[in-house]
Amino acid sequence: MAAEPTTRELRDLVAEYEFERGHLLPALIEIQERYGYVSREAMEVLARQMRTTPALVYGAVSFYADFRTEPPPEREIAWCSGPACRLRGGDRIREALQYTLGIPLDGQSEDGAYGLRLGQCNGTCSEAPQVWLDGEVVGHLTVAKAVAIARDVRGEGDA
Amino acid sequence: MNDRFTAIASEARERWEAARAGGREQINLCLDTSSLARGGAETLAALRDAISAKGLNADVTTTGSWGFCWLEPTLSVRSAAGTRTVLYHSVTPDRVEEFVQTVLVEAGELPELALGVVEGAPSDQIAPLEDHPYMRGQIRRLMANCGQIDPENIDHALANGAYEGFVQALDMEAEAIIELMLESGLGGRGGGGFPAGRKWDFLRNATADPRYLVCNADEGDPGAWVNRILMEGDPHLIIEGMLISALATHAVEGYIYIRHEYPLAIERMNIAVEQARERGLLGEDILGSGKTFDLVVFTGAGSYVCGEETGLINSIDGYRGMPRIRPPFPAQAGLWNLPTNVNNVETYANAPLVLRHGAEGWSSVSTDEAKGTKMFTISGAVNQAGCIEIPFGLSVRDLLETYGGGTPGGVALKGYQPGGPLSGVLPAEEADLPLTLGPYRERGMFLGSGGIVFFDETTSVVDLCTYFLGFAEDESCGRCTTCFQGTQRAVEILRRIANGGGRETDLGKLEDLIQTMIWSNCLHGQFAPTTVKLALRYFREEFEILIREKRDPTRSLPGMITYEITSPGDPALAEAAAICPTEAIVDEGARHGIVDELCIRCGACAEVAPNAVTVRDRFV
Repeated sequence: MAAEPTTRELRDLVAEYEFERGHLLPALIEIQERYGYVSREAMEVLARQMRTTPALVYGAVSFYADFRTEPPPEREIAWCSGPACRLRGGDRIREALQYTLGIPLDGQSEDGAYGLRLGQCNGTCSEAPQVWLDGEVVGHLTVAKAVAIARDVRGEGDA
Repeated sequence: MNDRFTAIASEARERWEAARAGGREQINLCLDTSSLARGGAETLAALRDAISAKGLNADVTTTGSWGFCWLEPTLSVRSAAGTRTVLYHSVTPDRVEEFVQTVLVEAGELPELALGVVEGAPSDQIAPLEDHPYMRGQIRRLMANCGQIDPENIDHALANGAYEGFVQALDMEAEAIIELMLESGLGGRGGGGFPAGRKWDFLRNATADPRYLVCNADEGDPGAWVNRILMEGDPHLIIEGMLISALATHAVEGYIYIRHEYPLAIERMNIAVEQARERGLLGEDILGSGKTFDLVVFTGAGSYVCGEETGLINSIDGYRGMPRIRPPFPAQAGLWNLPTNVNNVETYANAPLVLRHGAEGWSSVSTDEAKGTKMFTISGAVNQAGCIEIPFGLSVRDLLETYGGGTPGGVALKGYQPGGPLSGVLPAEEADLPLTLGPYRERGMFLGSGGIVFFDETTSVVDLCTYFLGFAEDESCGRCTTCFQGTQRAVEILRRIANGGGRETDLGKLEDLIQTMIWSNCLHGQFAPTTVKLALRYFREEFEILIREKRDPTRSLPGMITYEITSPGDPALAEAAAICPTEAIVDEGARHGIVDELCIRCGACAEVAPNAVTVRDRFV
């Protein structure tokens, strides 16, 4: 993940993309893969490249849950919102994670050190209830284990 | 037969045979998303390390899934002589050393981890795989190659029948292909069951060009992962199906729209498309036929309504993924307002099988009104969360008992959801329904795309309603007031009921909402309240008890319970106090108590001090 992108870099990154060829989403995905998020400037640069308005680009960014408009946290717990997890106490796990981390779902700490995100089911339901800790599945959770993980992510506790 | 294809396929088969006849043991390790979640990548690394450290004569290949998702990582071992293959389960990283020693070094077997003999003679200790209770009754056509081939190697697919159906179709007129699909009775697998042949015929009869195909691999229903299993296990089957559809509809380009939550499926589909292109199976002048068709793998960005076909089209076009108002239908104005056909992954994947088996042979597998086989995933209150392929018509109860392994701890089944958050819920008494389209339609719901979620008596139906309506609210595109405000209002009322604030008039309000939400433009708003509608029909008493008695019979709703310390001297309470995220457990002079105002009802204390903490009704 690179630092704050320059205008020049952004222009080069999206130079081959054309709106008429269905490239808006692929371009946004590429920007986010490169920088971790889609900045205001990236939206403006992309709008110019696509010969459309920043409003239209922002419309897409705000519609899709994956796009971030600020840099991602260093560490992240993605909480699985699927039904198999819900049936095994997933919602109590969410509540405990929010309180332990002191942030709401889809929020992050002020210093950007850690965040909590809503994750969608991808069919590893044998592991329910689960979270993804920095992208890796941690399954068969209890609320107590989730609290321990969250404290560890906060840099407290000894999990 | 197409000469170029014959040459391509026979070369592929030679390479496949040569690799298998190498006098080396062949290990096929399942490495799909479920296996990865259970340590599959570490198992792979440990296997390779052990084999090279011991200088063993064995090759490791990675495959897709057999469907034993709860027992991953699974792997098969084929003897160096090629006479015997045994499938094992739960070869977790910590078991690799023992496994390698027993099976590879000592040339023995591990019956306690064996699922069955795939090829060769069964023994006293290991029965044929087809006799395994989980395999019995399954008919693997779509999944024929899943677990058996490397999905990232087109040779493996070609050596096992890939593209043969397409080559047959190359010699057929478009009308004849459509006729064959109609004759087979192949219905859309996304949930609607609309005849694929008729849909294709709409596109064939379109008046504008170019025309497009879209494969809907958005699989947004939580608890459904059948499309993932296919894409991660046998991506060429889907490409072949789209090629056949292209011949029948004169489409020149196709898009496979895959949700971003499936990075491995995206990677494998991309590899498969690239390899098919290299072999001349995609692109211009395919196999010298003069036909042109190419594919783009398109990644979604997190939106459930993009699974609705016109929302998906808008998404590729570069707009918010809001479903369109129809007409015009996609066959008239789809991608870039040009004629387009959208089908589910499993629908396209069936087309090659119809060609290979013939319409009659393909459909005769099912005596049900719905023809062919269907993949299902089973999850929730089950012992075995996995994926199967069976003919339509099996009862839900048999699905649960035979393939789901029953409910955990023998807790009674309370009900099930047949296919996604919009499909609705049914009680256990309706578990004798066959898994097919009709019975669900009659009940104002639908079978859906194959994700069956079971729930037991510990689950509150009001919580399920809140959950599914909350999901629909989050994912509403915002076009229709009836949908985006309807779901919001329903969630408010349901939350009120779940927190003990329900009013006598609330059930009538929910019923009014159901009536107005049906006016929404697309299925999302129309079917969002299905769970509530059916819950009010089948589980009404649970709502009434909550509203009138302020009591939750399941004692699971956070707003309806309190936690109380009933054995204040229990030493486990120190740990409970330490784990409590809100410091609600206080030490009252060597005795612990819970400050109710601080308690968030997460239940962590009851987990670590089960004998000291008791759940009580809050209002009774």
